[in-house]
Amino acid sequence: MISRSDTTRPPGTGIDAWLGLGFAIPIIVIMGGLVFVPLGSTLWDSLFRIDPMRMGTPFVGLQNYLASLTDPAVRQAWYNTGIYVLLAVVLETLGGLGAALLLSQVKYGRQWLLAALVLPWCLPPVVNAIVWLWIYNPSYGLLNGILTSTGLIAENVVWFNNRAAALFLVTLVHVWRMMPLTAIILLAALQSIPQDLYEAAKLDGAGPLKSFRMITLPLISGGLAIALSQSTVFALNLFDEAWVLAGASLDTRTAIIQVYMSAFQNLHFSQGMALSVVIMIASLIVSAIYVLRVYRETSFD
Amino acid sequence: MKTVRLRHHLARLGRLAAVLLLLIWSLGPIYWSLVTSLTAPTDMLTTTPHFWPPHLTLEHYGKLFGSSSLSQGNEVQSVWPQFSAALINSIITSGAATLVTVVMAAFGAYAFVRLRFPGRDLIFALVVATMAVPAYTVMIPLYRLMISIGLIDTYLGVTLIYVSAFLPLALWLMRSVYRSLPISLEEAAWLDGAGRTYTLVRIVLPLAAPGLIASAILTFLSAWGQFMVPLVFSPSLATKPLTVLIPEFVTRNYVDYGLMNAAGIIAIIPPVLLVMFLNRYLVRGLMAGAGK
Repeated sequence: MISRSDTTRPPGTGIDAWLGLGFAIPIIVIMGGLVFVPLGSTLWDSLFRIDPMRMGTPFVGLQNYLASLTDPAVRQAWYNTGIYVLLAVVLETLGGLGAALLLSQVKYGRQWLLAALVLPWCLPPVVNAIVWLWIYNPSYGLLNGILTSTGLIAENVVWFNNRAAALFLVTLVHVWRMMPLTAIILLAALQSIPQDLYEAAKLDGAGPLKSFRMITLPLISGGLAIALSQSTVFALNLFDEAWVLAGASLDTRTAIIQVYMSAFQNLHFSQGMALSVVIMIASLIVSAIYVLRVYRETSFD
Repeated sequence: MKTVRLRHHLARLGRLAAVLLLLIWSLGPIYWSLVTSLTAPTDMLTTTPHFWPPHLTLEHYGKLFGSSSLSQGNEVQSVWPQFSAALINSIITSGAATLVTVVMAAFGAYAFVRLRFPGRDLIFALVVATMAVPAYTVMIPLYRLMISIGLIDTYLGVTLIYVSAFLPLALWLMRSVYRSLPISLEEAAWLDGAGRTYTLVRIVLPLAAPGLIASAILTFLSAWGQFMVPLVFSPSLATKPLTVLIPEFVTRNYVDYGLMNAAGIIAIIPPVLLVMFLNRYLVRGLMAGAGK
């Protein structure tokens, strides 16, 4: 294929480079100054001991990273984060796929159903968490109210006294907010499948389950990869919901809450930085898998 | 023949049940919050849930908007001074961040698609890669930087951080929009002697309007809901937004759920309006942003 800029010469092609740079410079300045310089500074500082409570800032190498491996609070936070990621990814993918399949079959009032589906994703996460905090309220919450009046539990439960329940309920709020994103991504993938494939499968005698397995799943695998990586990265970076529902509680503390506690509550700046670098690397790896996947998908057409 | 019709009906019934389930899951919690915000405090303290307030009251909204209010028989100072300040802060920071981000993305993405300059693709890749950088990874040096240049707790400081956080997605989205536009229209304009900037502003931008609207909605929603950034960078009511103020109602010795739900309902009005009237653009933006 001939590169487009060779086929026609827009006016003043020579100054194109300058114009392009001019448009890009504000972006370079803002992203450089507010993301890349601080990022470099974080990477560098994480190798020193920076602690406003202690004298000097000696070079400590990887000690901040190693210290976080043995710190019980950090290990607990990673363990919780692992559970959040696993639960959230499974629930969002299953729920999102279900919602996408349903939406692709609905004919009337579809755009209103879509609006209702997307709404939780659009609301401030903090407000979502407050709404659910009230639902989970041990004395007057809707959850206990429904469960006791249907006889599923005998008396009110203080949900956040139970660690497993607390982890699940925090995840549920996160899933409530993030599932729409998975559903939209999968819906886009579903809509790109040509309908005649299903007609052909039907003529060949394939049932709905078989055509789902043989046509739908393989053809939405690209969208599925994107949705999976999105839900993984967002669950890795979970903060708002866990913070509003249970604050700094170790039972529900996420890796990012641990960073906040280390850096801004206990003022161990460099330890917080080291932990945040690890989270960033994890997020980057997950995103890289997704970018490579998308690149492979799109480079063949 | 009869069994086929029966199966057809059953399938329709199943779909209807699934639609109902989806609606309850998505809207139920919001409806419950709305009901709570309209329920009298004494009616809230029951163990049997009621799905419509027994005595409709605007008492909780009165606490937000009134000058003083009654709480358990005593006259108390209302939260209007804090609430109004936070509401204005939310509007200003989200609005400013949206405006700056969309303008920068509109021109920047065009440069990344149509104009050749050294390092173009590398710069774009690096900027987009920052979407995977957690806010807290850069927060500590950023905090020290903002203190040293005196931008902590200022509209400018918060807006700049929002722009740096939300610009990558807007750029990504606008690049995919520009790439889908046929270049022939621009070529026709050049033949007529129009310059690059004129062509961009008068011909390309109007065509890219749906993409611009989608970027604006996505940026506004992200800024409006942002919590971690203002938690650190907006310590006082000078810039503190609703998202940081509302959870502070919890930390008093008694949690006023009526007040919190009423404040939450006010805070979700802008997103709800956007979804009701501009959902088309939002969904297309999300699809494009996630896809190519």
